[in-house]
Amino acid sequence: MKSIAQKEFISTLRDRRFVVLSALVLALLLTATLVGRASFRTLQRERQLAQTTVNDQFRNQPARHPHRVAHYGSFAFRPRSGLSLLDAGVDSFTGSAVYLEAHQQNSVNFSQAQQSGSLIRFGEMTVAFVLQLLVPLLIIFLCFGAFTQERETGTLQLLLAQGTTLRQVAWGKIRGYCQAVALVVAPALALAAALLFTGEEFASNTDLLARLVLFGLSYAVYFFLFVVGSVVVSARQASSRAALVTLLGLWILGGIILPKATANLGASLYPTITKAQMDAEVHEEAQHGVNGHDPHDQRAAAIKAALLKKYGVDSEEKLPVSVAGVQMAAGEAYSARVYQQHFAALNATYEQQNRLSDWAGLLNPYQAIRPLSMGLAGSDFTHYVHFQQAAEAYRYGLVQRLNGLQASMGYGDKERRLDAHTWRELPVFAYRAPNLHWALPHLFLPVAALLLWAMVLSWLGLRLISKTSIA
Amino acid sequence: MSYLLEARELRKQYPGKLALRGLNLQIAPGEIFCLLGQNGAGKSTTINLFLGFVEPTSGAAFVNGLEVAKNVLEIKKHLAYIPENVMLYPHLTGLENLALFSSLAGFQYADQELLDYLTDAGLPPEAARRRVGTYSKGMRQKVGIAIAVAKHAQVLLLDEPTSGLDPKASNEFSELLRRLSGQGTAVLMATHDIFRAKEVGTRVGIMREGELVDVRPTATLNAQELEQLYLTYMN
Repeated sequence: MKSIAQKEFISTLRDRRFVVLSALVLALLLTATLVGRASFRTLQRERQLAQTTVNDQFRNQPARHPHRVAHYGSFAFRPRSGLSLLDAGVDSFTGSAVYLEAHQQNSVNFSQAQQSGSLIRFGEMTVAFVLQLLVPLLIIFLCFGAFTQERETGTLQLLLAQGTTLRQVAWGKIRGYCQAVALVVAPALALAAALLFTGEEFASNTDLLARLVLFGLSYAVYFFLFVVGSVVVSARQASSRAALVTLLGLWILGGIILPKATANLGASLYPTITKAQMDAEVHEEAQHGVNGHDPHDQRAAAIKAALLKKYGVDSEEKLPVSVAGVQMAAGEAYSARVYQQHFAALNATYEQQNRLSDWAGLLNPYQAIRPLSMGLAGSDFTHYVHFQQAAEAYRYGLVQRLNGLQASMGYGDKERRLDAHTWRELPVFAYRAPNLHWALPHLFLPVAALLLWAMVLSWLGLRLISKTSIA
Repeated sequence: MSYLLEARELRKQYPGKLALRGLNLQIAPGEIFCLLGQNGAGKSTTINLFLGFVEPTSGAAFVNGLEVAKNVLEIKKHLAYIPENVMLYPHLTGLENLALFSSLAGFQYADQELLDYLTDAGLPPEAARRRVGTYSKGMRQKVGIAIAVAKHAQVLLLDEPTSGLDPKASNEFSELLRRLSGQGTAVLMATHDIFRAKEVGTRVGIMREGELVDVRPTATLNAQELEQLYLTYMN
């Protein structure tokens, strides 16, 4: 087996067609890595600067009423994950900043897609794109003749006459092809690792290192599948031409048709409402809560009555707290609860759509590596939702703290202001992206699908190969 | 007497064609048995059955006493094979090809030993380090011979082995077969070359439509008589 692997590896390296193709793929990988790094640094700097600026602006507000500060609001900028330079995932299409203010849960805006021309709709040339679609194509061109050429030229009989089995020949070939593919992919991943870990922002980041290792391992399994699959197809087809056509057909089916079909099916089975619809529904339901800005609101009046009773006084002037502040807090709690319910329902629908695509990974390895790659890179929908939730949690906490400050000002708070140093004591938004431990349970299905593919294909494929005709 | 190759009522039916009709054959150590016959007579099927590349419909083939169908891997240790058209790996040199096939057979040779096998088979030393993609058919055939010899097998299965060899190389090959035969190797050679069969073989068999119709010791016939006998069966 080792001899056959060595022969395949050497033959491949001496094959000019492979050298040209792999040089092209390697150049694309290296370019995509460097471009990804440059884009990552630019965006990261911009977002860090923007976050620092809005944080400074928030903290340096003059003496103001707390509710005005709540309406002045702030921004939360989503920092990009380190590995997003390899797989941008949904980052280009989801927003990067959210405006945080009282009474309102704004959506995350300013995505790259919103700020780019229509060409971004064709997708970006990321490392993940090359790894997920172009490297498999290279593998197909490398392996389609693995058995057919041996049979066509008669070398297979000579090999088997030496006392090797078809299974040994197949494993030898798989090993040799894997070495050749590693030679193309490894430099790009090594460059990515060097770029990541020489940057001071990533130095001694063990979570990132673990993610990168798993990222590399996942793709190793993915490429192994393509190598095994191509060798099996080659063994089962009568001619090299038939093997190539079959493999290219499978590549088109798995890389283009099935993902789109699954996305359409998901959207049909689990339809989502639009953002405008959701906002309207949230607004409508929030009306049933307390409106702190409306003095004629019945629920606001009930709160006032309860406060008077609680403190045993007969007028608002005698209360130690600001009625408006307490009403604002109650209104915020209610509207936040309404929003969270709608947000959870919408996310559940998105999750169902994504889950359908994840299950499709059992049929199509491309649909298993995609969510896995994005998840490990921290650029998938789940990581995006984590940011949304963190931003909303911060917004809610900040607004309620300001409502608390307002309440503590007592009667007549609207005529007064709190000192400027008050705002410097408020926490600013500092997002901590979730670690790998948090991300892994979300990636169970894609991981299981890839491993299942590897086991079934190795077992079944090699069984099929051992039954293939020789003469 | 123990035979290195034996066929008992060996029969092979392909869809729509009966390729071999109950072949009975025994080849003893040191014997060179030449199978003559037209294309499609069943010569290659016989060799493929001994190699275990196809399964018999009925009957059995034995190599060194082992039934081929039940010991497909084990019997390969006892035999070497040279096809009509030796195709090797074009991106490897002659030396690398020989090293690969020898290692698959369980032999690890030093470069000089590999070179000796190749030159003994008639390949010029300077060609041994060239990629096989630049070789002529005859040169590839010589590498094939070296592969077979380097395996030190007790049985040689040869399917038109001298096809593509020039007369000098063919003679050298005949000499090699005689030498191996002298060492006890049993040879089964399918060929169209009546004169080579007469010159190198100890027995010849004539096959027609999957049947071994005649077997003669070569010592009992001269080349012309063998040719006449062959033509009689073919007509």
